[in-house]
Amino acid sequence: MDQNSQTTSQNTAQNTGQSTAQNTAEHGSENTASFGFRAVPETERQGLVNKVFASVAGRYDLMNDLMSGGLHRLWKRELITMLNAPRGTTSFKLLDVAGGTGDISIRYAEDSGPNATAVICDISPEMLEVGRRRIADAGLQNRIQCVEGNAEELPFESSSFDAYTIAFGIRNVTHIDKALAEAYRVLKPGGRFLCLEFSECRVPVLDRLYDFHSFEIIPRLGQLTAGDAESYRYLVESIRRFPTQEKFAELVRGAGFSRVNYRNLTGGIAAIHGGWKI
Amino acid sequence: MSESEKASGDTGNAVDPKLLELLVCPLTKTRLVYDAKARELISKAAGLAFPIRNGVPLMIEEAARKLTDDDFRRA
Repeated sequence: MDQNSQTTSQNTAQNTGQSTAQNTAEHGSENTASFGFRAVPETERQGLVNKVFASVAGRYDLMNDLMSGGLHRLWKRELITMLNAPRGTTSFKLLDVAGGTGDISIRYAEDSGPNATAVICDISPEMLEVGRRRIADAGLQNRIQCVEGNAEELPFESSSFDAYTIAFGIRNVTHIDKALAEAYRVLKPGGRFLCLEFSECRVPVLDRLYDFHSFEIIPRLGQLTAGDAESYRYLVESIRRFPTQEKFAELVRGAGFSRVNYRNLTGGIAAIHGGWKI
Repeated sequence: MSESEKASGDTGNAVDPKLLELLVCPLTKTRLVYDAKARELISKAAGLAFPIRNGVPLMIEEAARKLTDDDFRRA
């Protein structure tokens, strides 16, 4: 909560009132948000992020493989295990936010019973288009639905989901506090919140290697494989600007969640934060 | 205006009724009216019609069409 010490002297004339500054403390000025290590006008940030994802959508898996050395597959598997969806006939509703390409939802659906369904909500039409095709290929259209929507303004009825997941999505949201409040709102009482995100590596030596990999290797690989070093640089920088494990846990608690905890994966390169709506 | 007409063409255009039950207007959180013919989800409270493209509801303000007086009269 220590990050919210911004005076709210904003609300420019045509703005629709969505501007409580969240990530901007260290840039000082009032309506900017971080875009990687750059400060950009807050109202432009989402558009810039969307461009990054429009640019990488078709190669998103490859990108994740490059950025995590293939580890994202194990981490996602871990997330789905923690979700513990019913394998029998009990009904279960998952909301997978920022899950456009269907990575989480498809694995979840394959691992669970016939009445475990998912709604994917993603702001990027390009990412959703990739997911829509994969869902059809997997024959899961009856159990996974897609919606284009913003994590900060979810288009869903309150108290309607058993679980909410967001994997490598929350750091791309402009107002993390708003997204968390919306997660809380749409979960049923007893509902589970799980967030997988790159985090702060705390293992000596591994942290140095990881730095080198992030800032020297990934943008070059991005340039070679996709001709797009800029997008990859944004992704690396956005990872480093994301709050540490404890700070993020505080934000999750601040949204009202109970029994908030986190689990480090691969020495903290990624972490899964969990909480319950009670 | 609504690009849903041109962009469609494949069969997966129907929205799952179970999904419709869950959806509300992202701005006002009020119920939506489903216009199956126009393939739009209408939020009278926000004065917006959200398009459905390839079975995917586009529930962001930038994708929505502003309702006209005509729309309100018909509704």
